[in-house]
Parts: sequence; C-alpha cells; structure tokens
Amino acid sequence: MITRFLTDVRVKFNPFSPRAKPARLFLSLIPPNARADGMKVETKMLPRTSTEPATLDVKFKDGKELKLELDKMRIPEVMEEVDRHSRILARKEELTGN
Amino acid sequence: MPPRIRLRPRALRLRTAQPSSPLCASYASLATATTPAPSIDTTSAAPPVLRYPPTQPPSHKPPEVRKTQLHRTYQSVLKSSPLILLFQHNNVKAVEWMSIRRELATALQKIDAERVKNGQEGLIADQIKFQVITTSIFASALRVVEFFKPEENTMDHVQHPTDPRTPTSAQIPQTSNSPEDERFKHGLSRRAWEVASNRKLKSELEPLLSGPLAIVTFPDVSPQYLKTVLSIVAPSPPNFPAPRRKATPSYYEPEVQSGLQKLMLLGARVEGKVFDSEGTKWVGGIDGGLDGLRAQLVHMLQGVGGALTGTLEGASKSLYFTVEGRRMDMEEKEKGEKPAE
Repeated sequence: MITRFLTDVRVKFNPFSPRAKPARLFLSLIPPNARADGMKVETKMLPRTSTEPATLDVKFKDGKELKLELDKMRIPEVMEEVDRHSRILARKEELTGN
Repeated sequence: MPPRIRLRPRALRLRTAQPSSPLCASYASLATATTPAPSIDTTSAAPPVLRYPPTQPPSHKPPEVRKTQLHRTYQSVLKSSPLILLFQHNNVKAVEWMSIRRELATALQKIDAERVKNGQEGLIADQIKFQVITTSIFASALRVVEFFKPEENTMDHVQHPTDPRTPTSAQIPQTSNSPEDERFKHGLSRRAWEVASNRKLKSELEPLLSGPLAIVTFPDVSPQYLKTVLSIVAPSPPNFPAPRRKATPSYYEPEVQSGLQKLMLLGARVEGKVFDSEGTKWVGGIDGGLDGLRAQLVHMLQGVGGALTGTLEGASKSLYFTVEGRRMDMEEKEKGEKPAE
C-alpha cells in the first residue's frame, strides 16, 4: 500500500466484532516510522457491546478526504480504494519532477 | 532375465509351519511338549511397559517442528496465567520493544520493592512477560485449552499393582505408542486436536485473534501489578496516569513513546472470562487487590448483619408492643365493664 501521501488516518472499530478485521489490518499496514514522519494516526476503540460499523477516515497530502465503511470490505479492497488516489498523486509528483 | 516372482516370506513361513505338509517329518512327542509362548495381544495381563518416554507422549502433529512446540508453549501459558492482556502491535521496531520492556520491568520492580516494604507477599514482577505471539497457533492453543477437558485420569486404566498377574508394582499407563490412542489427555494428542477442530464451539476471544498480537501474561490476578502495567503500556489519564517526567525520564525517550503509539489494548482474559479494555481497566481499578475486595466484603457483611438483627428485632418488638397495647386496652375495657355490672 502507498502510504507516503497520507497525512491523517482515523480508525474507529469495535475489536470484538469479526468485521473489525480490515480496520485492524489497515493499522498494521502503516510503516513503522510513519508517525515520526508526520502522519497522524488516531485509533478509537468502541466498547464491546456497540454495533457501530468500523470506519476509516483518510486525508491525503492534497487535502482530499476519503471516508470508508469497513464493515463490508476486505483488506485488499480497502487498499485498492486508498491506493487509487495515492497513485494519481504519485504520478503528479513524478511529472513535476520532485 | 528370469521372471520376477514376488517373494512373500510371511506366506512361506505359514506354509512350512503347517504340520500336515508332506516334506516335514512330525514327531508327536515333541509337538506336544513345546507349547508356544502366548503373544502379548492375547494375554489379559501383559507386563506394563511404557512404550514412549514419559515426558513425550505421542502427538498428533510431528513433535519436532516449531509449530507444535509453540502450540505446547501457548497451551501452558494459557493454563498457567489467569490474567492475560491482549495487545495489537503495528510494526513496532526491535529497539522500541526493548525499551518498552525495560520500562515495564523497572516499574514492576518498584512495585515489588513497595510490597516488600509493606510486608506483603506475592512478588511477581519478574514473571510478568510481554511477548509477541503467533496469532493462529495461539488461537488453536486457546481452543484446546477451552474445549478439551479430559475428565478421566490417565492412570485409571492402569493395571492394579496388587494383581498377581502383573510382574511389577510400578503404575504405568497402558497407552500404546500411537497417536490414535483415545486415552491420551495431553494437549498435543489427536483427541485434543479433534475436539478443538470442532467449528461449532465458539470461544469469546476468537474475534480478537487476528492480525499481529502481543500478550502480557500475569501468573496471578493482582490489580496492583495490572494497574502498573496499564499505566505504562496503555496510559489513560484519570485512573491510569503515565509516570511523571521527573520521576522516570527514561519513559519519555522517543523510542518508548513511538513504540507505545503503535500498541493497542484490545482486551483481556481474566480467569477464563473475556473483558474489553473498559473491563480491564475496571479490574485494574480494584483498590488493594483481592485483599481489598475481601475487606470490602467483610465490611459489607458486617453492616448487613447489624441491619438484619435490627430488622428482625424490630418486627418482634413491634409485635410485642402491639400485643401488649391490645392487652392493656382489653384489661382497661374489662375494668370498665365490671363496674357497669
């Protein structure tokens, strides 16, 4: 997954729900020094009894926000959604030669 | 090339052993004299021989591989630690692990020293371990621990030592050296595997067991130690504050802080029951631990006792007063009626 264009990641999930798996796996895909390089990662743990769906809010470097409901997605689909915009940003960066 | 004829030595031997074969001369006297020793299978009381090393009963999966040994280790961890905290770790570096473990160890040593000063027992600081686990093997070990409950003892089918047919008085389980044996009761046996692979049985902890996990194991449910661990690894200000910067400056090193950001407390397993992070904090917030709880209970029961005697007395007292009042009333009436006659 391309994570260098992400500035802000907010994840909310109930760990006791089996549908929280993609949310947790997404967090484990963030590289080890991403937080030191300025990415903000906020995790909110819902109580055990809550039935709220797991959500993921991502902000990109160009200001675009992406909101995903993770409870019906699998982790490859989540990665695909996030990478779609990241690839555009990567191409732009390549063309401007930075 | 001569034709290939499959040689079957067992079949040949059977044929030659038959006394009716014409080539073999039979001696009647000798045939009656020699009685062949009965095979082990036919005798009712075979000499009890342990057919495997006592510490290595045959296992379902090959015992020499790392997976099997991890499975065994996790089973013993789950059985021996009544309190387990589950964390998810997201790409924590080795240096960060090292510094978090160092901080945890120093904080727990302080608790130990405090308990020694107060004359309390149960110093478990050096037995509290923070370890990364292999999630799938841990999940499997958890299923074995929760669902495989061999009731009967392995020694139940042992030959009795006073039986005259047994040549030894040693009590040796009569299990054969094959994993199919139903009588094994260790966690790696085939029966344990069959019980644990029943998908209809669901354990409460199952949804938590995915992704990268780490566990903190406690050899005893001690809220004091739990509180320390929570305030170090998952600090939350009102009840579990992180240590002050002046008291422990090493806690605020960048390695520790960046490592802690990547750890998430998912839940806990306390005495076989599953708690979420709020429940875990509740367990950690019990003042004074088990002794404190006992003191609270004693205090409450004393209060209940006093109130109970008061209530019971009150009922009888009010009855006494009512009856007494009625008696007085009737006596007065009788007195009043007598002069009227």
